Amino acid sequence: MKFTHYALVSTLVILFSVLELSGQEEKLNYGNTTDELVPYGRFQKAHKNFFDDNQLFTGAGREKVPPTDLTEVRIGLLGPLEGSILSPQGNQMLQGAILAMEEANKKGGYNGIPFRILPHNDVGLWGAAANEVVKMNDEKVWAFIGTIDDINTHVALRVALKLELPMVNTGDPDPTLTETRIPWMIRCIADDRQSSYALVNYVYRQKGHSRIAVLRANNRYGRVGIMEFRDAALRYGYPLVLEIRYNDGETSFTTQIERMIKSSPDAVVLWGNAKETALILNQMREMGMDQPVYGCDRLMSPVFLEIAGKEAEGVVTTCQYNPTLDIPNLIAFNRNYEKRFGLEPDVFAAHAYDGMNIIIDAIRIAGLNRALMRDVMTDMKTFQGYQGVTGEIIFDASWNDIGSIWMTEVRDGKFEFFPPPPLTSEVSMTIKQ
Amino acid sequence: MNNLSRIFHKAIKVLSAILLTIYLTGSSFVEKDIFPEAGSMPVYGNWETFTRKDGLPADKAYCVRMDGDRVLVGTSAGLAVYENDEWRTYTVEDGLAHPGVLSIDVSELTGDVWIGTLGGLNRWSAGRFETFTQFNSGLANDVIYSVICDGKDVWVATGGGAGHYNTYTREWGIYTERNAPMHEPWTYGVCAGDKKIFIAAWGGGVIEYNTETEHFRDYIDPDGEMEIDLFADDGVVHDITTGVSHADGILWVATYFGLSRYDGAHWKGYFDHDSGLISNFINFLKADGPVVYLCTDLGLCGFNGETWVTYQRNENDKKGKILITNGSETKKLVASTSISHNFVIGVDFQGDEIWLATSKGVCRGERVK
Repeated sequence: MKFTHYALVSTLVILFSVLELSGQEEKLNYGNTTDELVPYGRFQKAHKNFFDDNQLFTGAGREKVPPTDLTEVRIGLLGPLEGSILSPQGNQMLQGAILAMEEANKKGGYNGIPFRILPHNDVGLWGAAANEVVKMNDEKVWAFIGTIDDINTHVALRVALKLELPMVNTGDPDPTLTETRIPWMIRCIADDRQSSYALVNYVYRQKGHSRIAVLRANNRYGRVGIMEFRDAALRYGYPLVLEIRYNDGETSFTTQIERMIKSSPDAVVLWGNAKETALILNQMREMGMDQPVYGCDRLMSPVFLEIAGKEAEGVVTTCQYNPTLDIPNLIAFNRNYEKRFGLEPDVFAAHAYDGMNIIIDAIRIAGLNRALMRDVMTDMKTFQGYQGVTGEIIFDASWNDIGSIWMTEVRDGKFEFFPPPPLTSEVSMTIKQ
Repeated sequence: MNNLSRIFHKAIKVLSAILLTIYLTGSSFVEKDIFPEAGSMPVYGNWETFTRKDGLPADKAYCVRMDGDRVLVGTSAGLAVYENDEWRTYTVEDGLAHPGVLSIDVSELTGDVWIGTLGGLNRWSAGRFETFTQFNSGLANDVIYSVICDGKDVWVATGGGAGHYNTYTREWGIYTERNAPMHEPWTYGVCAGDKKIFIAAWGGGVIEYNTETEHFRDYIDPDGEMEIDLFADDGVVHDITTGVSHADGILWVATYFGLSRYDGAHWKGYFDHDSGLISNFINFLKADGPVVYLCTDLGLCGFNGETWVTYQRNENDKKGKILITNGSETKKLVASTSISHNFVIGVDFQGDEIWLATSKGVCRGERVK
């Protein structure tokens, strides 16, 4: 009896230990990073991990009394609205926000006071984003959405900190944006780290490629966007065979494609805007490159399909949400957006819709006080697991959205969505303490 | 009546003498006792707070600059000048480029006051405000996070790059990722020292510009990763830098991730988990000789490479809290007066006085001897 008892207890202890070990293996690091992809993780434990916890805001402001004479509740929007190659996306972003605002106003606005969006163009004078955020502050907005371009978003964020103005980013996937420890911004769109992990896993582990050439935009979007892909590929044991660049607006890519041919890749990754990457794809095929092509989320655009035509078949991209899911609020959003603006919403419209709703909800919960709004937006409770039209939003400690990412493949001239294969670590880690 | 009057005056004198003695010795029961642990670190006490009630245009103060008998304070609603125990405010109506004043410096050559605002740069000279913006000058951007005077030269750190203005030739220079090793175009701090200009470049570490050779070099986080600091003391702790200050041959670098110290050969990093640094979130810093003062979101830290002295406010009883850390030993003390708010944004010092700009008011402290 005694022996049986000990045997049972010992077995349970062993089983629990095994379960515990398994649990540890499943646990992901900052940014949904598997052990295998942790920077220097195979060799050295970092002296300091910066994003294990939230950065608190300890400044004053919560005691400020809300104004009583408002006729409208102003919310800013900073985006590439005119004069930019990103203007189509910027205007989709604006329209998504407008739809959310109009729906909120139909429900009585904020205590009967209507919401109003004050749009600001982030294109113009050098560093326009900084000046525009100051203008928004002078216009007494309570929060703002913005923007898409990496540089402009970073510039705006730093001003938001000085002005203590809540900011919701809905369109810039630059991983470094939330790695700034500024406690005044949340991002409700998955970043290029999440996209890169999904793509790297798919390209190398699922498709078995080993020689990848990258052709990317010669701008910050291309440079920072491919960074996580390059690092992850390296950590998988596959350094890129080539990484070359093109400038936005280029139409002939012969030089770059000749270099790619010489590098003998077994697949190509394109990282840039839809127009240029579609032209590149067409010219690759004309020049005899028949390798599979993968790309970032910006390829997932009607512009890409229109320019690339039949050559688009089989191209695989990432996407920060799945617009075809059978979810009631998403279906309603797609329908209402098309009815209101006469076109299908894109990824920027959908995320701006979610971002604006978060701001509106924060105002309704916290009242008209920027610090209190910030508190509810960043408390990791109120909006954690928020069910937006883009899916469930999961914030990490840097208030970056690490919710689900999707992949697409062009089939019969359409983007077909599928979930990325789960990330796994194929090597065991021995980390030097 | 005369006797009564004499007794009354005598009593007043005695009381005044007692109060003066208390005042000069630190006014609190604590500050006298803190010298042994603080070593050579100056200790400040007798904090006095100024807010809107006292004449400031706003409670939120971004920066403070002491200039002889006056103190210049940049607030969210204008420039405030404290002189002869009175505050005077200057706003857009007076010629200020924008009410949000982020940085101030005074030219040693001319006495001109240079003011960095959220809407341009001002030169305040002979009672007149001259405004420089992107439209009428070579400024890279109108949001001026930092301005310093270095002889005839004025340097600015803006949201669109660093800038240089030669007040003799009236020529401007812009430094961004296009002509300097900045990685990114935006800058947040600038300081001068040893014939060099140091620029805190957001995402680009520290840029050093040698004014004699006109050459640049950059100091970046060697591990190249945003989410970690791989090795202690291997370089600047993070590429996102918020401020720089140079004194006594030492370059101090502020970030929202910790503090870095560079003596020209070796880097040393300080975090809240391995030193007396009260918070890794450092808004601003300024060095004076071997001592650096760090404006953090959890109070003011003074540090001389060995000893940390931290000043905080206990919001419950409004008393001050002083932490003195040597190695792993920290002594906690209570003081009768406190800094105005723990979210400290700016600091300056002159003689035995120190002034802080905070999220809620400015305050003046006196060195306790």
